[in-house]
Amino acid sequence: MLNYVLRRGFMALLVALTVSFGTFALFHFATDPAQTIAGEDAPQEMVDEIREQYGFDRPVLVQYGDWLGGVLQGDFGRSYFWKQQVVELIQEHAKVTILLALSALMVTVVIALPLGISAALKPNSWVDRLALSTAVSAQAIPNFWLGLMFIILFAVTFPIFPVSGDATWKHYVLPSLVLGASSVPAVMRLTRTGLLDVLSSDYIRTARAKGFMGYRLILQQAMRNALLPIVSVLAVQLGHKLGGSVVTESVFSMNGLGRLAVESIFNSDIPTVQSLILIFVLTFVLLTLAADLINAWLDPRIRMG
Amino acid sequence: MRIRPPVPIGHCLIGLLALCVLPFHASAGPKDDTLVVALSKPLTTVDRLYSIQREGLILSRLTDDGLFFVDPDTLEFVPLAASSYEWVSDTELDVTVRDDVVFHDGSSLTAEDVVYTFEWVINEDSDTSRGPVIRSWLESVEKLAPGKVRFNLKLPYPMALRDMAISIPLRKQGTYDEAGDETDEQPLNGIGPYKVTAFSAGREIVLERFEDYYQASPKANPAIENMVFRVIPDQGTQQAELLSGGIDIMMDVPPDVADNVSHLPGVKRLEGNDIRIGYITLDAAGYVDPDSPFTKLKVRKAINHAINREEITKYLMRGSAEVVHFACHPRQFGCNADGPRYPYSPEKAKQLLAEAGYPDGFSFKLWAYREKIIAEAVVSNLKAIGLDVDLRFVKLNVFSKVRNSKDMQAFFASYGSGGTADASASTGVHFAANSARNYSGDEALADTVIAAEQTIDADQRKRLYRQALNRIAEQAYWAPMFSYSQNFLLTPELEFSVPKDGVPRFWQASWRQ
Repeated sequence: MLNYVLRRGFMALLVALTVSFGTFALFHFATDPAQTIAGEDAPQEMVDEIREQYGFDRPVLVQYGDWLGGVLQGDFGRSYFWKQQVVELIQEHAKVTILLALSALMVTVVIALPLGISAALKPNSWVDRLALSTAVSAQAIPNFWLGLMFIILFAVTFPIFPVSGDATWKHYVLPSLVLGASSVPAVMRLTRTGLLDVLSSDYIRTARAKGFMGYRLILQQAMRNALLPIVSVLAVQLGHKLGGSVVTESVFSMNGLGRLAVESIFNSDIPTVQSLILIFVLTFVLLTLAADLINAWLDPRIRMG
Repeated sequence: MRIRPPVPIGHCLIGLLALCVLPFHASAGPKDDTLVVALSKPLTTVDRLYSIQREGLILSRLTDDGLFFVDPDTLEFVPLAASSYEWVSDTELDVTVRDDVVFHDGSSLTAEDVVYTFEWVINEDSDTSRGPVIRSWLESVEKLAPGKVRFNLKLPYPMALRDMAISIPLRKQGTYDEAGDETDEQPLNGIGPYKVTAFSAGREIVLERFEDYYQASPKANPAIENMVFRVIPDQGTQQAELLSGGIDIMMDVPPDVADNVSHLPGVKRLEGNDIRIGYITLDAAGYVDPDSPFTKLKVRKAINHAINREEITKYLMRGSAEVVHFACHPRQFGCNADGPRYPYSPEKAKQLLAEAGYPDGFSFKLWAYREKIIAEAVVSNLKAIGLDVDLRFVKLNVFSKVRNSKDMQAFFASYGSGGTADASASTGVHFAANSARNYSGDEALADTVIAAEQTIDADQRKRLYRQALNRIAEQAYWAPMFSYSQNFLLTPELEFSVPKDGVPRFWQASWRQ
């Protein structure tokens, strides 16, 4: 098991470093950070001074080495655009994204589990088809479109929720629904399949014979086993939510990490973008790793093979 | 199988709905005398000395005053915190400071504050955003007497008043002494008609009317007590906020959006001509390829004849956009060229191409980063005369990189002149010898542009600009196209006038009675 953990941990670190360097190099080859920082209409003197001041005239490898050296010592640098320490920036914005991701995950669970259970209990019935259609629709609708539709319906036509912002819990309702909807199909299908397998197993027959019926049979007996793979998928989905809330945060004007990433990219704020990418990659990789480890722990065949 | 939930879900849903239908109070509008403005881009600091953003300029016109300001009607640079000024010589400017100006902390503005502000800006360690520009012309500042300062210039520079008006808000002596690098964390102590009461980078800026603002100022007694600038990047979300009463005004609205949304109830549209111009630059110097077709005058003229400016302006730019024939906006001082114009004529364009040795046309890449629909229309016009154009539409930071590397054969871009109604703003940036945007390679033209920038005499400046602009037109270094239309969407309760220089002045806004 330890070997497996070390092997996966090393791979995770390698992925994070590769993505990080790729982004850094792309930024320098494709854009002129000095001009972006100086602004569209800036005179040449300003651009030249910024290039020298920030050291953009040095070789890319040297610049990357500097940045990585700082990161290894806990210094993520200072944002060119926001004129703030990157660590502080990330701390400020992370609260919104974490809260949004957890709310969205809750939405996913609240919608997907009942749908999956209903579909499993009545396979190939109209309930099953309806659950499947709902899930597929949720996956097919783009986040930005769903977001705008929710805004028009629940914030403009029926002003129940605010259009944008992140000041109160009401600001999180519509974005959580939008972000949560995209994960519903995966979790719903897995719930349905897992529960169907479990329901046909011997121990459920025994439980029924012992008098377990209704929700006690489903929730206390069947779901315990059916939930195990779902938990590992939810871990991966949480990674998606934390790193993939860019569109939702932009549409609802939420000041989270996703929006910070977009604005930093448009403004060639390399220290912020680099740090965010590293955090997104590490979060995703760690959550995937956690899911793998859970699966390996549950199923010895995985860690042996 | 019948499933009964352990908790009555229906009760939970009813409770949730009951919470949700509690009304959400938006704090925009005349009821609480708060004007809420949507910003598309985040403002990273409220200190204009450290901001290059247009949003920063808009905000600083509320929170700060400089020695001079841009008159909203004439667009001339006139005294503001200065009571008078005098050019003692071509390189010496004496300014008398008003004696009734107070900072937001209650202290009075003095000559020492003015000297401190400018010395801070020209100090290389201060890292102010406009420091490099100001240092290029300002040698030193000295106090001559109480309330009187002298600016010693390195060279004759008539645009000194512009730089003082647009880029240099006045600061209290010692403002940055303890700040170190964290200048953005200091509370802003300006002298403008509004003071900053709250600032959250990327979220909002809250302003309150400054009651001790000097009454002699043309900006005195603004009608609205509170202002909030909310950062909402998405245009669709801004529209929804406007319709739901969450904001009072949207700026920089694309014409098609303005057309559609302005028909909805509770929305008013304002439009006016902007000082920003759109143009195509051609690689006349042959930076990409010394044998490039664009090094030939007839080819550049053909491009100019091929573009249907009138229809692009009328049907695509729409609103108050106007056709532009020279490398400046007609409202700018010095934009008085009388050189050649290039009316739309595909036949003439084809003839010129044939005479230049390209009867079957040639291939090239046209780069663009904004108004894709315009770039596509230009491509269509150029294909009609037999040119094979590959449109490269990219993000601004990518565009800047390629342009500054002198790696573009042709590009469509725009320039807003920073709201400056002077031809120097446009010609200096595009045709000075050291400019990365200069694809003309014309040293004589660069000399003329610099000479105009360093001439105090207004008539002589006009002559030099006419000479430069005519040269650009004769050589067809550019294909100037149009000036932009600015569109605002606002609540009908708001009274607001469209700025002539594209920089809104919210201190002029008021609620309709």
